[in-house]
Amino acid sequence: MTNESSLLEIKDLSVGLRASNIAYDIVRNVSLTVNRNEILAVVGESGCGKSLTALSVLQLQASPPLFITSGSIMYGGRDLATLSKKEMRIIRGTEIAMIFQDPMSALDPMFTVGTLLTSAVHSHQSVGKDVAEKMALEALADAGIEDPKRRFDEFPFQLSGGVSQRVIIALALVNNPKLVIADEPTTALDVTVQAQILDRLKELKKDRGMSILLITHNLGVVASVADRMAVMYTGEVVETGAVSDVFDKPQHPYTTGLLGAVPRLGGAVSDLTPIIGRVPQPDELPVGCTFVDRCSRAVAQCSSIRPTLQVRGRAEVRCHNPVD
Amino acid sequence: MIAIVKRVLLTFLLLLLSSLAVFAAIRLSGGDVTAARLPASATAEDRELFREQIGLNKPILTQYVDYLGDVVRGDLGNSLTNNAKISSLAAEKIRNSLILGAAAIVLVFGIGIPLGMMAAFRRNSWLDTSISSASVAGMAIPNFWLALLVVWLFSSTLGWFPSAGQGGIKYLVLPSIVLAAEGIALTVRITRSAMLENLSQDFVRTLRASGLSESRIYFKHVLRSSLLPIISLAGLRVGQIVGYALVVETIFGWPGVGQILVNGVLRRDYPIVQFFSLLLVVVVTLGNLAASIGYTFANPRLRK
Repeated sequence: MTNESSLLEIKDLSVGLRASNIAYDIVRNVSLTVNRNEILAVVGESGCGKSLTALSVLQLQASPPLFITSGSIMYGGRDLATLSKKEMRIIRGTEIAMIFQDPMSALDPMFTVGTLLTSAVHSHQSVGKDVAEKMALEALADAGIEDPKRRFDEFPFQLSGGVSQRVIIALALVNNPKLVIADEPTTALDVTVQAQILDRLKELKKDRGMSILLITHNLGVVASVADRMAVMYTGEVVETGAVSDVFDKPQHPYTTGLLGAVPRLGGAVSDLTPIIGRVPQPDELPVGCTFVDRCSRAVAQCSSIRPTLQVRGRAEVRCHNPVD
Repeated sequence: MIAIVKRVLLTFLLLLLSSLAVFAAIRLSGGDVTAARLPASATAEDRELFREQIGLNKPILTQYVDYLGDVVRGDLGNSLTNNAKISSLAAEKIRNSLILGAAAIVLVFGIGIPLGMMAAFRRNSWLDTSISSASVAGMAIPNFWLALLVVWLFSSTLGWFPSAGQGGIKYLVLPSIVLAAEGIALTVRITRSAMLENLSQDFVRTLRASGLSESRIYFKHVLRSSLLPIISLAGLRVGQIVGYALVVETIFGWPGVGQILVNGVLRRDYPIVQFFSLLLVVVVTLGNLAASIGYTFANPRLRK
C-alpha cells in the first residue's frame, strides 16, 4: 500500500481542541504525502491548520488542549501518532527536524550557539565533546553561515534575524534528519535574506537528498522552491498536485481565488481580485463545503454534502464544481 | 567602571543618611537613658550629671558631628548600659547572626527553588495545589506567631528541639525555619511563575524539536532562565531576613545583632542602637549589591 518513494504519509489526520466544554477539530481529515528528495509546500491563510498539521507530525502541538483525534502519520513503517513520548523524542532531530517561524525567540537566550548545537548532538549520540563540536561547526557551515567558529561562541541576542534562522537550520541539520519541516521559515525575515534562506533549503534538498515539508502563506515562496503543493482551507486540503499543474490550471475556486489575489509586477492594484467574505470559525463550519459562502461557483449540493478529495486531471481537488 | 564608582559613592551617601536618620530617631523617640544605667535611687542631679558626661545636653547636630568624628577615628563608643566596648562585643554578635542568617538563606533558596520547580512541573495537580496553598499560608502567617506555634509544637509538645538559646545545630533549627518561612514562600511563588512563563517560550519548542529530553529542557534550559528573577529578588530576601532577625532572635533568645539591637532600643542605649542599626544597613546594601552582581553574571546580555 505504501508508495516506495514516499517518506511521510499523513492519512486522514484530524487534530482537535478537546477541553471540558469544547470539542471541535481544527485540522480535518488531512492527507499529505512527502516523497523522498522533494519539497512539499502547504499553503493557506492564517488559521487554516497548516502549522498545526506540521506540529502534530512531531507531536509538538500544545497538548492538552490539542489532540490528534483520528488518522495516521506513517513514517518508516511506523505511525508517529501512536508513539510514546520516549519514542517520539528519538525521532525528533534524527529523522524529522523542524524549523520555526520567529528566529529571534526560537533560540534559548541563555546559551551560546555552540552549546545549543552540541547539546542537540549529545541528546542523540554518545560522542565526545570534540566530535560534537566538529558536527556543530559543519552544520553551521551547511546552514550557510560564513564564520562558524565565531558564531559558535556567540549568544542568540548577538545574532541578526537571518543568522538566527541559519542557526536554527543548523540545529535542524546537526543530527542528519531525512525530513525537515519548515514552518514559515522566512516570514519574519526581510526579502533578500528570505531569498538566501530559500536557496539554502533548495541546495540542502539537492546535496543531502533531504525532503522538506514547507509551511507558508506565500505563493511566491511556493513557486520558487516547491515541487508539489497542497492548498489548505479551514483545516482541509482543498487541492493538491505538482506546483506547475496547480499554478497553471487551478481547479478549486479557493485556489483560483488565492492566485487571483497575488499582485503581479506591472499590474495595477485594481487587477487584484479579492476573495469575498471571511473564513468561518472552526466551531461554526457549514455542513457541506466550507467555502460555499464565499464561492462564485457554488451549486445546490455544496451547502449540504461535504466534498471529498478526488483525483481530477493531474491534481486532486475537493470540490463539487471545479474550475475547468 | 564608572557604574561601580557611582555605586560605591551612592552606598556611602546611603550610609551617611541612614546614620543620621538612626541618630535622630532614637533621640527623638523619648525615653530616659539614665533609667537603665543608674539605680532607681539616683537623684535628678545625678541623672543630669550623667547626661552631661555623655554629651546629651549639646545640640543634636553637634552630638552627631562628634559621633561621626569618633567613628572615623575607629571609636565605636561604649554601651551606656554596662559600659562594654562595642568593638569588643560586636564580633560575637555578628558571628551568631551570620550563622542564623546564612542558615535562613540556605533554606530560602534550598527549599524554595525545588518546591517551586515541582509545583510548576506538576502544575494544576494536587502537589501544585498543596505547595501553592502552603506558600500563600507562609506569606500570610506573621513570623512571631509562627515562632510561638513551632515552639509549642516541636519544643513543648514533642520535645524535639530546644525552644531558646544557642548550642549545637539543634538550637538552630527552629529559629532558622521561622526566619526563612516567608522567604521560602515567596521564592516558591517566583520560581513557579518564572518556570511556567519560560516553559511557554518559543525556545522550549525548538529544544523539544531537536529531541532534547524533557528533564534536560526543564533542569538545564528553563531553570536557567528562571534563575534571573530569583536572583534579582535575592537582595530583597536578604533585607527581609535582616528585618525579621530582630523578632526571631528576641523570641528564641539568640544572642545576635537583632537581640542586642532590640534590647538597646528598649533601654535607649544610643551607641548600641547606632552601631548595630547601621550594621544592618550595611548588610542589606551588600546583599543588594551581591544580587545585582549575580544578576549581571547570570545574564549573558549584561555580561557580554
